[in-house]
Amino acid sequence: MSKRRSITLAAIAAAIAIAIGIFLSFAIHWFPVQASAQAHNTDRLYHILMIASIPIFVLVVAVILYSVWQFRMKPGEELTDGPPIHGNTRLEVFWTAIPAILMLGMVGYSFVILHDNEKRPAHEIQVGVTGQQFYWSFQYPPSVTGGAEINSYDLYLPDNESVYFNMRSKDVIHAFYIPAFRLQDDVVPGITTHYLATPDRVGTYPVVCNLLCGVGHSLMRTTVHVVTPTQFRAWINSQLHASSSSTGKFSTVRGSSG
Amino acid sequence: MEAASIANAPAHGGHGHGAGDHHGPPPANHSSRVEAPLLGMMLFIISEVMIFGAFFTAYFFIRIAEGNPWPAPGMHLPVPVAGVNTAILISSSFTLHWAEKSIKHGNRFAFKAGMFTTFMLGCTFLFIQINEYANIGFAPQDHAQQTIFYSLTGLHGAHVFIGLLILLSVTVRAFRGHYSPESHRGVEVPGIYWHFVDIMWIVVYTSVYIL
Amino acid sequence: MAAKLRAPGFYRAGWLMVAGVGFATLLTWLVRMSTGHATFHHFLSGEAVLTVSLLAVPLAFLVGIGGFDYWFYWATGRPTRPEDHSGHGAHTWKDYFRINTDHKVIGVQYLVNSFFFLLVGGLLAMLMRAQLAQPGSHFVSANTYNGLFSVHATILIFLFMVPVFAGFGNFVIPLMIGAPDMAFPRLNALSFWLLPVAGIIMMLSFLAPGGAFADGWTAYAPLSTDAPVGQMFFSIGVQFAGASSIMTALNFLVTIITMRAPGMSFFRLPLLVWANFATSLLVVIATPFIAASQFFVLLDRALGFNFFNAAKGGDVLMYQHIFWFYSHPAVYIMILPGFGIISEVIAVKSRKPIFGYRMMAFSLLAIVGLGFTVWAHHMFTSGMANWIRIPMSITTAIIAVPTGIKVFSWLATLWRGILHLDTPMLFALGFITTFTLGGISGIMLAMVPFDIHVSSTYFIVAHIHYVLFGGSLMTIFAGAYYWFPKMTGRMYDERLGKWHFWTTFVFMNLTFGPMHVLGLEGMPRRVATYAAQFADLNMWISIASFALGLSTLLFIYNMVNSWRGGPRAEANPWRGMTLEWLVSSPPPVFNFDRVPTVVGGPYEYGVPGAVHGILAPTPAPVVAAGSGMAHAPS
Ligand code: HEA
Ligand code: HEA
Ligand code: CUA
Ligand SMILES: [Cu+2]
Repeated sequence: MSKRRSITLAAIAAAIAIAIGIFLSFAIHWFPVQASAQAHNTDRLYHILMIASIPIFVLVVAVILYSVWQFRMKPGEELTDGPPIHGNTRLEVFWTAIPAILMLGMVGYSFVILHDNEKRPAHEIQVGVTGQQFYWSFQYPPSVTGGAEINSYDLYLPDNESVYFNMRSKDVIHAFYIPAFRLQDDVVPGITTHYLATPDRVGTYPVVCNLLCGVGHSLMRTTVHVVTPTQFRAWINSQLHASSSSTGKFSTVRGSSG
Repeated sequence: MEAASIANAPAHGGHGHGAGDHHGPPPANHSSRVEAPLLGMMLFIISEVMIFGAFFTAYFFIRIAEGNPWPAPGMHLPVPVAGVNTAILISSSFTLHWAEKSIKHGNRFAFKAGMFTTFMLGCTFLFIQINEYANIGFAPQDHAQQTIFYSLTGLHGAHVFIGLLILLSVTVRAFRGHYSPESHRGVEVPGIYWHFVDIMWIVVYTSVYIL
Repeated sequence: MAAKLRAPGFYRAGWLMVAGVGFATLLTWLVRMSTGHATFHHFLSGEAVLTVSLLAVPLAFLVGIGGFDYWFYWATGRPTRPEDHSGHGAHTWKDYFRINTDHKVIGVQYLVNSFFFLLVGGLLAMLMRAQLAQPGSHFVSANTYNGLFSVHATILIFLFMVPVFAGFGNFVIPLMIGAPDMAFPRLNALSFWLLPVAGIIMMLSFLAPGGAFADGWTAYAPLSTDAPVGQMFFSIGVQFAGASSIMTALNFLVTIITMRAPGMSFFRLPLLVWANFATSLLVVIATPFIAASQFFVLLDRALGFNFFNAAKGGDVLMYQHIFWFYSHPAVYIMILPGFGIISEVIAVKSRKPIFGYRMMAFSLLAIVGLGFTVWAHHMFTSGMANWIRIPMSITTAIIAVPTGIKVFSWLATLWRGILHLDTPMLFALGFITTFTLGGISGIMLAMVPFDIHVSSTYFIVAHIHYVLFGGSLMTIFAGAYYWFPKMTGRMYDERLGKWHFWTTFVFMNLTFGPMHVLGLEGMPRRVATYAAQFADLNMWISIASFALGLSTLLFIYNMVNSWRGGPRAEANPWRGMTLEWLVSSPPPVFNFDRVPTVVGGPYEYGVPGAVHGILAPTPAPVVAAGSGMAHAPS
């Protein structure tokens, strides 16, 4: 096979591999369902990253396979050496510059997404999150409940409304991670950490502790219920009711946690 | 006999094989103007600077990032006493320098006197430091500022202690008649370490007691 | 008997270690007594004695086997024993169990010790995978599981990856630069013996009350500062391993700077030497930070200091900053020497000069520099100030550029070469493939919004193993096969080697590839059990990982068997140009009868008549003969 033809062949094979790779990156559902505005953004970033990375990976593998195919030692070449090529400045500049530009583009785009994800909307509700070995509890301030503060083991959030979590730890570091939202942050003793989520799909989704916090770490899970605003109001009211009928200042309602 | 064996023993584990030794490896080429023990000590000091750097990072986080008041309420730092102590340590650097110069010029008496004085000054520093700990009136368990106070000064104290052990061995060897104007690397290399320990104290003193 | 107890060796080490325990007991008792009943209820506390013993006993051991003898003689001004070079060379296998000052013996000690710990760490991984095969499994308890992965990672990082490269460096660097030994042979011996000490401490932690240290290899405070006493085995074990790597790095730097053969300018150094030079810089600058971070944990836990006690003004995030300021550079400590190995193998096996030699050297230095500016990419979700994410994300992404230069230059070296596809080369090519994949997943992690989703999930576990197993370990296998003939004087079994490569490559991808998927789906790492939705893939991963474990046994079998009875190797089976191939296999005790002279670049394959170095008698290098300072004219 002539050199020209073998290179063409390899290039075609590589192009097909890239196409298949990119196709798969879209066709397969890699992620949990998208249940927040941030999830849409982050998944889009993922797809862009895949579109940028798959060709690079395929290029590297293609060169290796092509070299193995074309340049492997043939009988009689045991003692021969290859051509003494020491370098090529144009090529070296090229493969320094292109990745650099690509990287800056990728980081730049990721910052755009980051900015989007963290932009505080005009209206948001605040929810307190407390982590301790080995369970979560949630605090709804009066601004949300319209009455007393609610302390609950259940997490209910209204659909299509931004929520700003204020997270505190009572002991060691935990991480408050909601895969369906594509969001997490550590819950650190001594400081309050925050993040913003905008649920946009009704349903229940897993919440997991995502930072090693001791023996119970793997079981420190709960669920988040994203409900319609009316259902949310109803839930708040039921909590308020439960708390006013109990004697303590704040009721601690252990819900039927998932 | 003894002199020969001294000449054959570079400060920090070089090859140490003698001239008449025919079984050893070929002499290595010397590809740098810097001598190996000296370079080794310099690199080691880089590591040491980094370990102080890590402790200063902790200091930075506790005092500045956390915004803890400095010194903490009720934490009285004996600035003048420590100042005197600083002067003592700094003067030990000068006496050491004097000792180094003396051995280069072959003045054995001054060399011995210099080493001995340096060693005693170092001991005095450490003694005063320990005394300070005993009477300072707070403990590292109290609060983060006290923790970092003890840690920085304690880390430095540990270095003084190690430095003193090294100085002690140099002094002992000095009194046993080792070193000569031609061969004094065994004084110089430990000397660098001691100067480093002194300079580090100035940094610690400034940031902990003064600023 | 009395003589045995006094002479350096295991007998003396034995009784000194017992004395060490006694010393620790006495010391803690004295300290507690002097502090009084106000602070302590009991003046004797098992935990306190254990903690102090962890420091005292290893030191006693090192003194016992003779690690400090020379310096002790020197310091007290007694005549040091005349150097008769009895510490050089190994005549029986027993010589490998002594303090030995020959860099080749130390190199072998390092390598064998490291591969032993690879087996230990790998075995722990097998136990982990048994536990993870099914959700809700009770193969081990949650606490034991946490101990398993913590010790797995700690042993594989601090006792396998870091020292195994020091082992290659020890054996090969002096030969490559034409030096008779390392600059400080005694320091070299000591730095080796610190390693088994550290490893044994870490393994023994499983016997500690409360179980092994179980806070991951990252040991985040404040979990670690009020963990059971097993945590001290980590904090202290790491100090010994860290001290060892600093000593070796100093030694490498001084050796490379001051002991190169005549004509061996920096730009004639083989890239393996360059790589170790760069790595050693990282070690010398970064390692003190992990030492400090573990001192802090030690002080907090054992003495009640408040570095990380938020209630008393301590700063929890400070731990992570200090830890990662070491541990990010540490990941380059674990890959840069591998880059060096790959450069050697690819040039020799493609029969072509390395493409863009100078850029290869500069890109190493660029990675060293950049490596210090990216640590907080491990902290994107740590709760630190938001703005720090921006510069760290940019610098992290930029690291792809120097790394890319290396990958592309290797590819260009392959191009139009004459590829000898034997085992080292297969591992080199496999390395490029899997490392690129792992590097790309790293780049994805550098993108903050994406990292916020997958941080601390199995995506990270996948990244770790693609770069560490698919990256570093592949280079180690390549290097082990490549220098096996030189080190042992025997050839390995090529057929078995190829089997080893293919099984490793295939099962490695089958094991760690699906972890990406688990991570994207949101499976957390460091969990002893997991939600049912992840069951299928985990079962798959566990099965593949057992096969991967078996493939490693092929390697061990090949090495052991070939060492004992393989065919004799020639001096230069690969037709390599670098200086180590000029001497016999294995090299003579003092490497060279006369220091060689270097007259050209190290990779001039295909250049007619080119030579790198010559052994022939040369105009002797100017040495102040008889000065006693053999390599140090004044
Ligand atoms: C050998 C070890 C090693 C190596 C070499 C790397 C290399 C890299 N790593 Fe990795 N990393 C680890 C070991 C390693 N890592 C470990 C152990 C952890 C987990 C620690 C823990 O929490 O336990 C970790 C975690 C980790 C994180 C934190 C994730 C988290 O916890 O949330 C991040 C984030 O940025 C990251 C990024 C990178 C990047 C950008 C590189 C880059 O250096 C990669 C550069 C290489 C390439 C990109 C491929 C080749 C280049 C080309 C072919 C050029 C063209 C390419 C492009 C233009 C993209 N790593
Ligand atoms: C440094 C290199 C390195 C290497 C080589 C490996 C090798 C392997 N690792 Fe590990 N791993 C890490 C570094 C490494 N790992 C790190 C840094 C972490 C993070 C830990 C943390 O979260 O703190 C981690 C975490 C980690 C996890 C995640 C744990 C968790 O988060 O819950 C898993 C899970 O599958 C895993 C699996 C494996 C497997 C299957 C192998 C296989 O490759 C192992 C293959 C097996 C062998 C090589 C040995 C074969 C030997 C035998 C079969 C028997 C031998 C017999 C005797 C000894 C008598 N590793
Ligand atoms: Cu809480 Cu993990
Ligand atoms: Cu990193």
